[in-house]
Amino acid sequence: MTATAPAIRARPAPTAAQARRRRLLVRVGLHLLLALGAVTMIVPFVWMLLTSVKSPAELASFPPTFWPDEWVWSNYSGAMQAAPFATYFRNSLIIATGHTLITLLFGSLAGYALARIPFRGRELLFLGFIAMLMIPTYTKIVPQFLIVRFMPLSGGNDLFGQGGSGWLNTWWALLIPGGLSPFAIFLFRQFYLSLPRELEEAARIDGLGELRIWAQIYTPLIKPAVATVALLTFQESWNNFLWPLLVTTRDELRVIQVGLAVFQQQENTAWHHLMAGTTLATVPMVLLFLLAQRYFIQGFTQAGIK
Amino acid sequence: MVAPAVAHAAIWIAVPVLATLVLSFTDYRVFAAPRWIGFGNYVEIWHDQVFRKATWNTVVYTFFTVPFSMGIAVVVAVLLNQKLRLRTAYRAAFFLPQVTATVAIAMVWLRIYNPQFGPLNGVLSFFGVPGRAWLADPDWALWSVIVVGVWQGIGLKMLIYLAALQNVDENLYEAAAIDGASPVRQFFAITLPMLKPATFFVFVVSIIGAFQVFDLVYVLTDGGPANATTMMTYEVYRSAFQDFRMGMACAQSVVLFAFLLFLTIVNRRLTRSDEK
Amino acid sequence: MKIHRHRGRVGLLAAAAALSLVLTACGNGDTDGNQDDGDVSGELTMLTPIYEGTEGNRLLEEEILPAFYEEYPEVTVSVDYQTYGTLNEKLTTAVAGGLIPDVMMMGVGWVEAFAANGVLAELDSLGVTAESLAGDYTPQIVAGGTVDGSLYALPIMLDTRFGCARMDLLAEAGYEQPPASWEELRDYAVALTERDGSGTLQRAGFDMLSMDLRQMYEVFLFSAGGSLFNEGATEPTFNSAEGVAALEFITGLMNQDQVEDIGFSNTDADVHPLLNGRAAMAVCHNNLWIQLQEAAPELADQIQPFLINGTQPGMFFGGTLATVSASSENQQAALALAQFLAGPEPSLAANEQRGNVPALTELLDSGYVQGNPLVQFAMENLDVAQREGGPPQWLEIRGDFSPAIESALLEQKTPQQALDDLAEAARAAMGR
Repeated sequence: MTATAPAIRARPAPTAAQARRRRLLVRVGLHLLLALGAVTMIVPFVWMLLTSVKSPAELASFPPTFWPDEWVWSNYSGAMQAAPFATYFRNSLIIATGHTLITLLFGSLAGYALARIPFRGRELLFLGFIAMLMIPTYTKIVPQFLIVRFMPLSGGNDLFGQGGSGWLNTWWALLIPGGLSPFAIFLFRQFYLSLPRELEEAARIDGLGELRIWAQIYTPLIKPAVATVALLTFQESWNNFLWPLLVTTRDELRVIQVGLAVFQQQENTAWHHLMAGTTLATVPMVLLFLLAQRYFIQGFTQAGIK
Repeated sequence: MVAPAVAHAAIWIAVPVLATLVLSFTDYRVFAAPRWIGFGNYVEIWHDQVFRKATWNTVVYTFFTVPFSMGIAVVVAVLLNQKLRLRTAYRAAFFLPQVTATVAIAMVWLRIYNPQFGPLNGVLSFFGVPGRAWLADPDWALWSVIVVGVWQGIGLKMLIYLAALQNVDENLYEAAAIDGASPVRQFFAITLPMLKPATFFVFVVSIIGAFQVFDLVYVLTDGGPANATTMMTYEVYRSAFQDFRMGMACAQSVVLFAFLLFLTIVNRRLTRSDEK
Repeated sequence: MKIHRHRGRVGLLAAAAALSLVLTACGNGDTDGNQDDGDVSGELTMLTPIYEGTEGNRLLEEEILPAFYEEYPEVTVSVDYQTYGTLNEKLTTAVAGGLIPDVMMMGVGWVEAFAANGVLAELDSLGVTAESLAGDYTPQIVAGGTVDGSLYALPIMLDTRFGCARMDLLAEAGYEQPPASWEELRDYAVALTERDGSGTLQRAGFDMLSMDLRQMYEVFLFSAGGSLFNEGATEPTFNSAEGVAALEFITGLMNQDQVEDIGFSNTDADVHPLLNGRAAMAVCHNNLWIQLQEAAPELADQIQPFLINGTQPGMFFGGTLATVSASSENQQAALALAQFLAGPEPSLAANEQRGNVPALTELLDSGYVQGNPLVQFAMENLDVAQREGGPPQWLEIRGDFSPAIESALLEQKTPQQALDDLAEAARAAMGR
């Protein structure tokens, strides 16, 4: 390596202007590439936005229009009135926030232990967490439902889970079973793993316990991972549809995706309302992403190490 | 420290997983108690042409979507990790498919692939290439779905790579730059090795996600034409909630599980030595 | 070391929990219902895929149920709203968990499966029989709720499928009336098909792809004089000469006459091709009228329904029926609610909300039916309508139809082969 460096420096010297022009060219090319990619990525989102303000008549016209002839903002109020969205929105918010908090706390604890504390059976436990992700939701959901329904000593159930309805129609069923996903534990583990070992050694010499090393040394260093897990957990929970539907029978406990299903009947989809409702459900996720990505600023991690 | 997570997973995931294993040896119709039938479900799966087709489709789908979207995602993440004008906007754009509702994604791709007025056939005919009914053509439907799968998968992987890149020590690059390493060389010599833990995560999660693909196929082709795009999860869903054959659905899930476990263990064996 | 021991205990706990789970799943087969005849009171739970959304909720809770409570002040009802998209998941977990709602709304094809497996109460023993309904409904409709001669379900609303034509487009081609036979249908469709210079289809003469392929095929099967199963539903008969003729007619339209191209439309299409002139005729659902009123009201006079006529006129009906749980502790009250919902005023309101076809014959004269040409047409022709289903395994079998029909349309198999293979799969399911 060191041998090549002088060779580069030894090149004839119209460097300044030429290099600047080359860099400019590379920049322009890069922007073109990224812009092209970005455009292909946002088309469905834009289509959703535009569809949400078109009239049914315009949606039926052929050839299909791209830009709305007339902006029908009343689609939004129409969609909001089609189901008790205020309640649904509140419930989704409570559940997604609850899931995110549970996941951040217990997921990072478990991820830290799996990455940083040697104990017997750690590898097996870790593989066990991953393996549990490999059975499809559709088969796990019925046993999960049965556990909720036969939960002992709740909802009128006796010690053996008989007699009542368990956690059905309660916030417990909505918050606890989906509260912590092995995905989050796995992701946290990978991030704790990527940090240098010297840190914990220093901390141990200083006599810090594991909890304090976790809370004060390591976790502050993986803020981007915390932001990522928070974002993905919130999103997953926000989009959940089948589970909240199965464990509740009352509208007061139902969530936003259940509301959106009203627009999609077997023989007839109300596209204008569906897209208006979907837009309203998506916007919080976009805002959350913009918030989370602010933690992706290279450099501040190292500040902690130096 | 790991105890709360273990307890939670034991109750809410391990028990259902164990129940799945046990029930896969039964004829469980939901209406009546499970009846032990040994390997009956597995024998039926072995002879089931549609499930074989689904398995093959799933393997092909995974084999093509995972490497392509991972490759694109890591490059995009590196590009969007540098100081760049409009960086936030680009990041948001690439992440959008991850939050856009699947119905909206499907409607747009159905238009793009539309045989009569879709832009894809339009572009092809401009170059004199005959168009196709992409999603309705049994030879092309799976490939058309794979393209959408790659496209949709980039956002999540990019996000994780972006987060992982924040932990890569900048000093390494400074040292390499002084040594005169080109950006491409830096990418292979520093970035990729430093991203190994993240890559293991992205790989495993992507494989699991690809093997369990459902919504996208459901809205794009509904498994058709003539089962050309049916997937394993799709058959699991049908067995469980259309046929009410829960035991069969469990057995099909166990087959899917076996594929995934095999792939993960192979990958783990290959990467484990470098991790510590 | 400490962590290790702990983990072992959790593992044991998990195994024990799994075992008890399987045991409870085994134990819920025999739920006992002790009903006191004549005493119409109690708390009822109801599961319904209809009355959905704010409009439906309001209709049920502010109009229908208050009227019901006036008649039965001792009964209370709590409602679990679903859509058809998730009805199966909900029913599965309800049955598995042994918490079956007292009143369940379900589709025509569901009744056999749930009745055969003992989930539904036989209504004859509660005092409602097929005979007692005979005066109020067309016989085929009552048959939709009957299994092995016993009544299990009360029809509320029907979904029907038949032919629809754009009369303005037919008139351009010189046709004054919709086609009256398969031959006319083919001739008209060929004449009405439009392609541009490069051969790209601009307008399908007859659209078969916007409708679920199974239901589309069934319309032709019925019009060929065929049936899905034999009397008693022990043998599939859709691969009989009539069934094959129906599928050959369809594949002929697609592949020889080319009145539509594969991929031209699909069941997820955001607009029905009749409404934007991309098709001149189609197999359509009665709620096309609702879409028309929203998207293209100017076509109100141009859409005309017609019966597809092979050896006999064919029309398909499905629908939503009210059933009573066999394990309900308040079966009399549940039956009272089911009967009330199936009664004239509540069922008319429910049909109006969804644009569907009332099952009760007397509602033909109602303002709603008279004001909706497609619903009116369907009601006037209910005597030729046929349903799908038959054996308890129908829900298992029906999912194989679309791939089979697709394989024939794509010429991977001949119609005979496709239907024979399908019949084979059906027999396997019926034998399990």
